[in-house]
Amino acid sequence: MLKHINTVAYCKTVLLGLLILSASIFSPAVYAQDANAISTDPAVIQQGEALFKANCKVCHAVNEQVVGPALAKVYERQNMDWIIAFVRNSQKVIQSGDPYAVELYNKFNKTEMTAFDFSDDEIKSIIAYVKQETENPTVAAPVATATDGATPAEGSASAGMSSEYFYIILVVLFVVLVLILIVLGLIVSVLTKFLNQQGNLDEADKEIVNSKTDLGAFMKSKAFVGFAIFIFVTLVAKTAVDGLFSVGIQQGYAPKQPIAFSHQLHAGQLEIDCNYCHTGVRISKSANIPSANICMNCHSIVKTGPQYGEVEIAKIYKAVETNTPIEWVRIHNLPDLAYFNHAQHVEVGNVECQTCHGEIQTMEVVQQHALLTMGWCIDCHRKTDVNTADNGYYDKLVELHNESSKSPMKVVNIGGLECSKCHY
Amino acid sequence: MRIQSLFLVSITSLGGLFLVGCGAQGEYKGMEFAPNMYHSVAYEPLTQIDDEEAGTFVSTREDGKGEFFNSNVNNPYQMNMREPVANTVPRNKQGYLPYRMPKDSLDYAAAVVKSPLTASEDVVAQGKELYLRYCTHCHGQNGQGSEDPTAKVGAILKGVPSYSVGRLATVSEGHVFHVITHGKGRMGAHGSQISEENRWKIVSYVQKLQKGSN
Repeated sequence: MLKHINTVAYCKTVLLGLLILSASIFSPAVYAQDANAISTDPAVIQQGEALFKANCKVCHAVNEQVVGPALAKVYERQNMDWIIAFVRNSQKVIQSGDPYAVELYNKFNKTEMTAFDFSDDEIKSIIAYVKQETENPTVAAPVATATDGATPAEGSASAGMSSEYFYIILVVLFVVLVLILIVLGLIVSVLTKFLNQQGNLDEADKEIVNSKTDLGAFMKSKAFVGFAIFIFVTLVAKTAVDGLFSVGIQQGYAPKQPIAFSHQLHAGQLEIDCNYCHTGVRISKSANIPSANICMNCHSIVKTGPQYGEVEIAKIYKAVETNTPIEWVRIHNLPDLAYFNHAQHVEVGNVECQTCHGEIQTMEVVQQHALLTMGWCIDCHRKTDVNTADNGYYDKLVELHNESSKSPMKVVNIGGLECSKCHY
Repeated sequence: MRIQSLFLVSITSLGGLFLVGCGAQGEYKGMEFAPNMYHSVAYEPLTQIDDEEAGTFVSTREDGKGEFFNSNVNNPYQMNMREPVANTVPRNKQGYLPYRMPKDSLDYAAAVVKSPLTASEDVVAQGKELYLRYCTHCHGQNGQGSEDPTAKVGAILKGVPSYSVGRLATVSEGHVFHVITHGKGRMGAHGSQISEENRWKIVSYVQKLQKGSN
């Protein structure tokens, strides 16, 4: 009897199982009714959200393809058992020959999904969160676009501030000058009137009071002609001397580069440290132009820029694919007779990049900021204190220097003006 | 007399105006004084003149090329830079051998590779300095990934994880080192940019961030 009941119960279970199985195959809606149903309990969703943010968000978004596929409606594409198996060990599912898994694996460049040791309930809670996000996506503030819009406006405002003030001050000064002239003119006319009304002036005084300026005579006067010639000669001499001094100086040189790379965007807006790309600056003589693999650290993902779209970034891909060097145009070029070492100045001397290269983080196209003349080098060596802090090398030098001087040790004091320091 | 002086004045002013054109601006490099000094005959880093005619007017070369031509005709793209000879092993002053664990052995590296440095306060401080230089723009100053307001690039890339949440909070130093060296997922390989010693210093700081302290 007992056995009989057991058999009936067994049959019922099998039937129910078959029913669920067929339902799950033919209709996802009905499938949602069984034990694997996606919960709508807020507590479960919350747990799922926490898990998703901590573990999945790196590679997945719900409504957007990031590294892995968008997870929206994943519960309609596959059943829960498949999802659980895939999350626990995606490689096992792929190796078992599951056609959907293999297709997915190939579609995403054979990127292996990390295996996560979650319990069934945890995975279900994540799916519950995914379902909720699929149906009611949270409208997140687009961080990237917000910064894109706000920062350049601020930047240009602060950059334009000083010159704006300058113009305002100039205009105000001009207005004040005109006002003073008007007041002076009024005073003169009032005084003239007053003196004429007095009537007790002799002829000579009257002539002075009522004298009219003769413009023609003034123009021909020796003093004026002399002055005009002096001004003219000075101006010509100044342009000539300035012109001569600009020979061999490349300050302001801003050539067009093969890729319209913007330092304003990368170093200014996105705050990427100079050292990140110019890797040689602390260890070698030259700061180095980054090779394309460094560009690709970000640009393997970022494929469109805000200004030129895909055009400029595509040039990096072309260089990488064809293994061709990008021929950047050299801007700063010291003559061979002078030695300059970046590591010495940046790593040891703690000199900021901007000291010599100007406000590079605001430059759309890089231009030579400094004169790069010997006078310019010497000037800085005379003015700059040596960065002796935490550097045992300088201890004795500082001691010696302090015996004979009260001012801090400058570069000039440790041979910064020696010819053979830079010319050898 | 008068005409002569006028002539003189106009010549000097013209000369002056002519010299104004010597300064560099935009595409124009400016007039070079003694160009032989600016165009190195010897090979220089980051400079290459592949125009064989450049500087013919001062050329004293026996091969008849321009004085400034300094490209290496034997190398691909006439570059001077070459890749190191295959199978050569660089050694640095600390005596480190290069890290040779291949990219796909992350799990093994995570279990086996140990830092040669002890995470003293000094090392962590140096690590922090390096971290701020090389990692901040994606991972943020406090290692919170895309959520971190200082991670300007991370915000664009989206999905940069926080060090102190979930699985990442417990990964080993070997794991972090391996990932910095070879990259993982969407993170690029940084082995070419950062020396091995500096990478270990960064690891020591990242391990601190994993604990949620900054």
